[in-house]
Amino acid sequence: MTAMIEVTGLGKRYRDRVAVENLTFSVPEGEILGFLGPNGAGKSTTMKILTGYLPATSGTVKVAGFDVFEEPYEVKRRIGYLPETPPLYPEMTVRGYLKFVASIKGVRRGQLTTELERVAHATGVSEVLDRLIQNLSKGYRQRVGVAQALLGNPPVLILDEPTEGLDPSQRAEVRQLIKGLAGQHTVILSTHILSEVTMTCERVLILNQGRMVAFDEIRNLAHALGGDQTSLEDIFLKLTAAA
Amino acid sequence: MRNALAIARKELGIYFSTPWAYVVFTAMLGISSFFFVNLLATFKEVQGLARVYGWARLPPEYGLFKNLTDGIVVQLWDVIGVITLFVAPFLSMRLFAEEKRNRTFELLMTAPVRPWEIVLGKYLGGVGVIWATLGLTIIFPITLSLFGSSESGTALEWSTVALGFGGLLLWGATCLAVGMFVSALTESQMLAAFLTFAILLPWMLLRGLAQSAEEPWRSIANHLSFSSQLSTLSRGVLDLKALVFFLSVILFSLLLTHRTVEAQRWA
Repeated sequence: MTAMIEVTGLGKRYRDRVAVENLTFSVPEGEILGFLGPNGAGKSTTMKILTGYLPATSGTVKVAGFDVFEEPYEVKRRIGYLPETPPLYPEMTVRGYLKFVASIKGVRRGQLTTELERVAHATGVSEVLDRLIQNLSKGYRQRVGVAQALLGNPPVLILDEPTEGLDPSQRAEVRQLIKGLAGQHTVILSTHILSEVTMTCERVLILNQGRMVAFDEIRNLAHALGGDQTSLEDIFLKLTAAA
Repeated sequence: MRNALAIARKELGIYFSTPWAYVVFTAMLGISSFFFVNLLATFKEVQGLARVYGWARLPPEYGLFKNLTDGIVVQLWDVIGVITLFVAPFLSMRLFAEEKRNRTFELLMTAPVRPWEIVLGKYLGGVGVIWATLGLTIIFPITLSLFGSSESGTALEWSTVALGFGGLLLWGATCLAVGMFVSALTESQMLAAFLTFAILLPWMLLRGLAQSAEEPWRSIANHLSFSSQLSTLSRGVLDLKALVFFLSVILFSLLLTHRTVEAQRWA
């Protein structure tokens, strides 16, 4: 299968601190990859580099064959990104905000309304489209954040904690939504809720202190670390404590 | 360009959905109305003196009160120029600083938008608001033309008024360009406003500050001073040098802002 995301020898250093070190992995088209690690492991930094927001200190990143440093515009056209903090303008209505994001993502004017309705329906924000973002609950804000990432139907989605702040039923809805993206979209999903990863992803990449400590299918990791019944939580704890 | 216009529309929408624009509108109208009424009173007083003693016996500086254009509108444009210097930092401060604080800068920088489109869009949005603010002051010459009169028949020389107003718009656009650059340097809106003011005010007063300096520094300061360049335009003189000067400051500020936004990619 064609690799949609190819990361080779990626490193990021902030002055004396190493945030990410020699990270190499690839994600084939249509896969949902669980991107795990404790706080400060370098997940968000890696995702910011993949989206072209931050430069890397070393290594290369290719998305859909385009180098993120040499052709950032081509990469950005193909990525939907939900950062850790949803990038929202509190003074705007949800509709105004989504229209704005759709237009800067290159959605054609004639398709704007259809596209807006599609993502609003998919993320369950249809009923709050005309409300100001500042008046929304945390859960709705998070969903609006997911909605903006889906606009323009980008082939690659990078989602940093997409279910943060959602109640269990909303979480289940977003999880179903993300699962439904498999096949047509390549997704990098970062979350601390490991049960979600188990239900959504086949493979996981685990980072610890900037280094990759695992990159494999969950069942292979379970098998290697204590047997098929080993939970992802146990795998996570073993790998991140050992490093 | 489509992205730049989308960003400009977004900026305008946010300006008008918060109290800031209305506070600035009120401040501009309130303060300029105060000076307008004062100028009217002075104009009336000097006209009264001229009727009694004749223009020849009055001090030469009273000559500008012979007509409403020079006596009121040109003076008012100068005052509004100074008010603009105070209000522009409050309009420009949020342009980038707020995006950085709210983490929405990440959205712009990860969308397929080129840095120059972000800078241009934000600038157009900001200029839209400052021009709307300055646009309100056109009410003063309109009032004069409706209720004023002169010996020549028409109350105002509209070409002078329009050129002066054009100069004001250019001045507003200049203040905003400088302010936007400062806003791109920080996450703090108040710091952005303060620094913008700290740059614009001495630049405005450069002519006065350099009075005691020796040549050629005095001439250079005089040429670079905002007040020198603005005074010719506000008097309705189509001064190409002043136009080039203001356009250069705008362009230079936009280029610096662009470099600052671009630098994010290499942070």
